[in-house]
Amino acid sequence: MHTPATAAAAIRTVGVTKKRGALTVLSNVSVEVPRGQVVALLGPSGAGKSTLLRCINHLETIDAGRIFVEGDLIGYRERGDVLHELPDEASSRQRRRIGMVFQSFNLFRHLTAIDNVMAGPVHVLGMPRTQALALAQKLLAQVGLAEKAGSYPNQLSGGQQQRVAIARALAMQPTVMLLDEPTSALDPELSQEVIAAIRQLAAQGLTLMIATHEMAIARDFADRVLFMVQGEVVEDAPAREFFTAPRHERAKVFVARHE
Amino acid sequence: MSSTTVAPHPAAAPQRIVHRRHWGAWAFGIVVLLLFAALLKAAASARIVDLGVVGQYIFSEQIVTGAVNSLLLGSVALLIAVAVGLVAALMRVSGNPILVAFSATYVYLFRGTPMLIQLIFWFNAFPTMFKTLHIELFGQVLLSVPMTQVITPYGAALLGLSLAEGAYMAEIIRGGILAVDAGQRDAARSLGMTTAQLMRRIVIPQASRIIVPATGNQYIMLLKSTSLASAIGYLELLRITTDIYASNFRVVELLAVAGFWYLVMTALATALQTGLEKRFPHR
Repeated sequence: MHTPATAAAAIRTVGVTKKRGALTVLSNVSVEVPRGQVVALLGPSGAGKSTLLRCINHLETIDAGRIFVEGDLIGYRERGDVLHELPDEASSRQRRRIGMVFQSFNLFRHLTAIDNVMAGPVHVLGMPRTQALALAQKLLAQVGLAEKAGSYPNQLSGGQQQRVAIARALAMQPTVMLLDEPTSALDPELSQEVIAAIRQLAAQGLTLMIATHEMAIARDFADRVLFMVQGEVVEDAPAREFFTAPRHERAKVFVARHE
Repeated sequence: MSSTTVAPHPAAAPQRIVHRRHWGAWAFGIVVLLLFAALLKAAASARIVDLGVVGQYIFSEQIVTGAVNSLLLGSVALLIAVAVGLVAALMRVSGNPILVAFSATYVYLFRGTPMLIQLIFWFNAFPTMFKTLHIELFGQVLLSVPMTQVITPYGAALLGLSLAEGAYMAEIIRGGILAVDAGQRDAARSLGMTTAQLMRRIVIPQASRIIVPATGNQYIMLLKSTSLASAIGYLELLRITTDIYASNFRVVELLAVAGFWYLVMTALATALQTGLEKRFPHR
């Protein structure tokens, strides 16, 4: 691993394995992401990129290993040498500081853009509505959608929906953001506005883990690339190095195809 | 027409356009009119409804009381049915095999047998099976009354209609919950919402746009199903109506009066449904 291990890693996975029936979706994944790093997860479809992200905030259970975010063991409590899954309440509490952005946006359809952004602060943190409103307005302005506050998701373009989704995640003031193929459902033009919003997150010093097929993200502002094949991280390299001198066979093919 | 026969001025406007005519529908329309005329002719030669009798009863205290009783019975039964249905639906989607089986069996039994049989069961059979209602907690007797005091015609009707309707509501609510896609839950969870919070804030409000119209439909059915309670002697609209015409033989007039009040109730329910649907628009 090219980054030194630190106690205060933003994300640390230790031997994470996940099975679905007979299929091993994640195989012994050990990764350490220091604070503020932007990590691009690359690899063919079905390599386990999304699953890894979903395990990091315990949207999915794991079958072996441990995941730490900001030093906290995620989703489980260790007693002796046994991991016991945490109750719903405790897992939910851990997710507050882990933002997530989805491929299909998943904006709450019955709420306007501003209400989507306010949902977390108001219902989860119990923030007063006036304060949450001010925060949400600020965040919508940050992603360039101040004038769309009253629009419902079905009145917004895909790119606008994804930017609202980014603002919604930011409203919880996360330290870590997981982005699961954030531009895969968008045409190239709309991707650009979403990429700009993500670039801003990176500039703010958030720790980002981005599963993507978008080379612009990986090439332009990712610090590091994790290349996954069949549930395994087969290459872990600084982004520049990955694109100029990939080592793994599959990575070479992948980089050549995306030249 | 092949392109070689096109006139030398292709840009010229056509003389006239004749659109397709729906001759079949017109022919059927004429048949409907003829049948309706035959019906009117038969009605004209039938015994005329005595509007005086209708007017005498339509706003009479007895009839209005019956209508109010029906409206209350149907409305309270719907409220209980929604609560019962919500619990049964949540059990059904919980994934716990005991809760799923319990809920599925409840729906099968109460939706699968006629409402009239259920009402008669609660009123006639149930009190003979359990003679007293006895509630005891830690040796302390909280309640001990003869079952016949609890199971009045109203009590039996309310119990029967609520439980039967609850089975239908369970299926409606379950359908609504399943229609909300999993991504909505993922997003709510990723913000830190607990299962209870995401159900209340995200899933149920979105499921409502499916549940509300169907519930309005059930409300109308239930208001009319209150007439089944006439069979167990509850003085709702139909029972009062039949009691009156049993003594004065004005069957046609009194059925017209009852029909009028059921239509009024249906209009109320429809207005309520329309109002509620505006609160849960489709997005």
